[in-house]
Amino acid sequence: MKKSDKTGLVFFPAFDWAISPTHPEREERLLYTRDQLFEEGIMDLPQICQYQPRMAELKDIARVHFCVPNIEAQATEAHRIAAGGALVLADALMAGEIKNGFALIRPPGHHAMRVAHGNRGFCNINNEPIMVEYLRQKYGIERIAIVDTDVHHGDGTQDIYWHDPDVLFISFHQDGRTLYPGSGFTDEIGGPLAQGMTLNVPLPPGTTDEGILYVLDHLVLPVLEEFQPELIINSAGQDNHYTDPLANMSFTARGYAKLNEKLAPDLAVLEGGYSIETALPYVNMGIIMAMAGLDYSNLYEPDYHEEFSQEDPLRLKRLEQIVSELSKVFARRKELVAAARKKLGPVYKRSRYIHYDTDGIQEQQQETLVLCSDCPGYLLIESEAMGQLHGYNKVYCISLPLKSCPRCQGQARDLYTKMRHSPYNEYHYLYLQDRPEDVYLQYDYITDKERII
Amino acid sequence: MLVGIDVGGTFTDGVLYHEGKIIKTAKYPTATEKLQDSILQVFDDLLAGVNEQEIERVVLSTTLVTNLLAAGKEEKVALVLIPGPGLNLRQLPLFPATYILKGAIDFRGRITEPLVHAEVEEVAAQIKAQGFKQAAVVGKFSSRNHEHEEQVAQILQTKIPHLQIVKGHEVSGQLNFLRRMVTAYYTAATKNQWAGFAQEIESAIKKRGIHCPLHILKADGGTMPLPVSLKFPCETVFSGPAASVMGAFALTGDNLTSVVVDIGGTTSDLALILAGEPLHASRGARINGRYSSVRAFAVRSLALGGDSAVRWTGKEITLGPDRLGPAACFGGTAATPTDAVNFLEGGKLGNLSQSRAALAKVAQEAKLTEEELAQTVMNIFLGRLEESIKEMFLAWEQEPAYRIWEIVNKKKVRAERVVGIGAAAKAFVPALAKRLDSQSFVHTYAPVANALGAAVARPTLSLLLHADTRRQVYDLNVEGITGAIDAKAQMEDVKALAVKYLQEIARQRGIGQYADRYEFFREEQFNMVRGWSTIGKLFDVGIQIAPGVINEFKGVLA
Repeated sequence: MKKSDKTGLVFFPAFDWAISPTHPEREERLLYTRDQLFEEGIMDLPQICQYQPRMAELKDIARVHFCVPNIEAQATEAHRIAAGGALVLADALMAGEIKNGFALIRPPGHHAMRVAHGNRGFCNINNEPIMVEYLRQKYGIERIAIVDTDVHHGDGTQDIYWHDPDVLFISFHQDGRTLYPGSGFTDEIGGPLAQGMTLNVPLPPGTTDEGILYVLDHLVLPVLEEFQPELIINSAGQDNHYTDPLANMSFTARGYAKLNEKLAPDLAVLEGGYSIETALPYVNMGIIMAMAGLDYSNLYEPDYHEEFSQEDPLRLKRLEQIVSELSKVFARRKELVAAARKKLGPVYKRSRYIHYDTDGIQEQQQETLVLCSDCPGYLLIESEAMGQLHGYNKVYCISLPLKSCPRCQGQARDLYTKMRHSPYNEYHYLYLQDRPEDVYLQYDYITDKERII
Repeated sequence: MLVGIDVGGTFTDGVLYHEGKIIKTAKYPTATEKLQDSILQVFDDLLAGVNEQEIERVVLSTTLVTNLLAAGKEEKVALVLIPGPGLNLRQLPLFPATYILKGAIDFRGRITEPLVHAEVEEVAAQIKAQGFKQAAVVGKFSSRNHEHEEQVAQILQTKIPHLQIVKGHEVSGQLNFLRRMVTAYYTAATKNQWAGFAQEIESAIKKRGIHCPLHILKADGGTMPLPVSLKFPCETVFSGPAASVMGAFALTGDNLTSVVVDIGGTTSDLALILAGEPLHASRGARINGRYSSVRAFAVRSLALGGDSAVRWTGKEITLGPDRLGPAACFGGTAATPTDAVNFLEGGKLGNLSQSRAALAKVAQEAKLTEEELAQTVMNIFLGRLEESIKEMFLAWEQEPAYRIWEIVNKKKVRAERVVGIGAAAKAFVPALAKRLDSQSFVHTYAPVANALGAAVARPTLSLLLHADTRRQVYDLNVEGITGAIDAKAQMEDVKALAVKYLQEIARQRGIGQYADRYEFFREEQFNMVRGWSTIGKLFDVGIQIAPGVINEFKGVLA
């Protein structure tokens, strides 16, 4: 990579897109952020280089998601432009045009899982994994860390990388017992062969700058130092802010700036954050300033006081326990995986129930990881979903990781062909996500049509 | 009859236009130290034997402000800022005498931190002690609420009665504090000298018995009456390239997408006309290297012209960046790109043997034949123009967009036509057009198209109206106009208000007859939702009299 001293910025506020007129994800969300960024004139500074987003290709989405009934149903133009905004910055980074980049885009994505039946937690498709898989496919990047700083557990991103030994996913968020989506506890540490590559820090409600920065200094940064990722991605939600209407945390704009300065992400992608007047204009400025190396000591919310940043000793104690527990998990990760390999048979199964709050869909999923001694194995997912407006769909999905071995590749492709030609079964759609060939197949049993993407 | 005069870096051009004909043209070298002389020389030349009563309008495009700043002759200004939270201005390259005050206003125009009066008085005392005669007061979000700017200005005025003060919201209502600061600073720094110059020209013209409107060309390709220019001297920067673009616009007058190439002796300026509309720069004109809020055409300048020096460095042939007198074919001594064209076209432009002799000198050093050298020079010359043109189109395609439909509907554009402006255009533009696979257009009057552009450009006026029905206020981006709006106002009401102000301000500025030719360039509305109910609306409405030609212009016979 060539050296550049610029911070890339994609600002795509989607001023013509909303989930519904009064929904938190509405046209107005980044309006005041726009006003603040434009009035500051930060885009005129030589440190900042603004880019225009593009539409992500269908292939970019198929590389990550099994969209039901099809990609177009889950990814509208707005979604494709938001994801494409992240891809533009990925390209700029790899071309050496920028030293880091922030995709200030909406709609968000981190609750979207690998199988996408509808919108959950305001998300249909997941922008960070779309960017990560693009970077892997196009530029051969292997080891990536995603740090999810949104107040909600990044359960979609966690799902997509659950079995991936090369993607370190760290999420800190308000304790799932008190907030959507109700997951992200310390015992969720990744699939059997990727244990310790998922780390969840459930923060007690009310956690402040000091608390979050404690977790950063004592867990996140040491773990990153040990993992040595080629790229660090910040899944940058802004709803830990003390004014956010949907959560109960106490983070400030300057705290966000400090976090990004310390984390030094190569790429940051906006996620949630719904305090559109009192937080977003300041937090977004803070992230941009920190990434661009600009002094943020004059950045503050109108009602900010220094003591907002101090942490309660009891909460700090709780955080110390969590950090210590997770540090141990991470340190023992190789041991844990070796033990799992010994114990497991040829396959590993888990079944789950997934709720789509926005769209009112219930999904039942059975996931089978086919284990392999030479590669990460491949994944089979059987999923059926029912929603009042969406009807009933049952799908079968086969996912081949980029690094799968020739034997697994052969098996997965054979399975797809066999299932495609078996006339009697209960599925509506059959999918093959063939990442090694970068080809994505979807077969419709009812119309007998195959779509190749 | 219409008069247009364009003061360029090297020459001052003028045209006298009437009913589809250019009756007369004039060209004199520019006296950089006293532009008035060159202007009046051209003026008198054009008007010799013409009845003064027949002159309907005079338009000037001049580099005075640019020259003042380039020579460092502007006045010293105390800059007083009320930035509030955000960027730490102390870490940015600012202006020599900058005073930063406490106090803040947010994006909705709400005061979030009060001014500290004792601090303002302290700054006033310092400004007084330093003996400043000019000050600029600029607050963040002052276009949404200029109370702080007014209060600070008032305190300064009380303490220093002779101080002249420019307030940020009066020069720019666009959301961009840094550009507003730059614009207010340079307005304060140049307005007195500009006024002196403008009034001198005005009285000289009146003395000649001419009492028609006198307009000044702006960087956005429109004109403004001279009295208006006294408040907005910065609007005159880059009016030279604007004159060329308006000249091209007037001479073509259709809806094609053109690249305008103005080839001068030392430099070439490139601009785009997209589907018949000249393209404005997205960031505003740069004054002394800093972005301002002055709206200007997107112009790219290359240090490459018809008289650029052709040299052999020992490794390669280079062109420019300097000019070595006129081309050899016109009596100069050194080989130039013009000589290369002249040689290749068998002496169509000037003296063939002089071109050949000048080229031969360089060719010998480079071990090339004269023909090979001439071809190389043309390739370098046209290649650089072509590359810049492609970059301009690409930059336009990559302009940020904030809505889905803008991105979905973004089309790739290419030049359908190359329009040549300037004396050297006919030598290079046909070959350039061939390389770009587009039509070539070089009008007989291409050498004075800049002055023609000034003569026929119509006034422009652009207003942005921001209304907040929750706070029940609206503000206008010019002259700091604010007022009350009904809580139930809808888009039609806001648009009607914008039209009312456009017509009113146009009338005040003496351009009322153009006010019915408006268009809306922005119509945005956002529902403000708090909790689950709509508590108000925010509107942004942009209305303008776009750049164009006045009704008196009836085309030009070649």
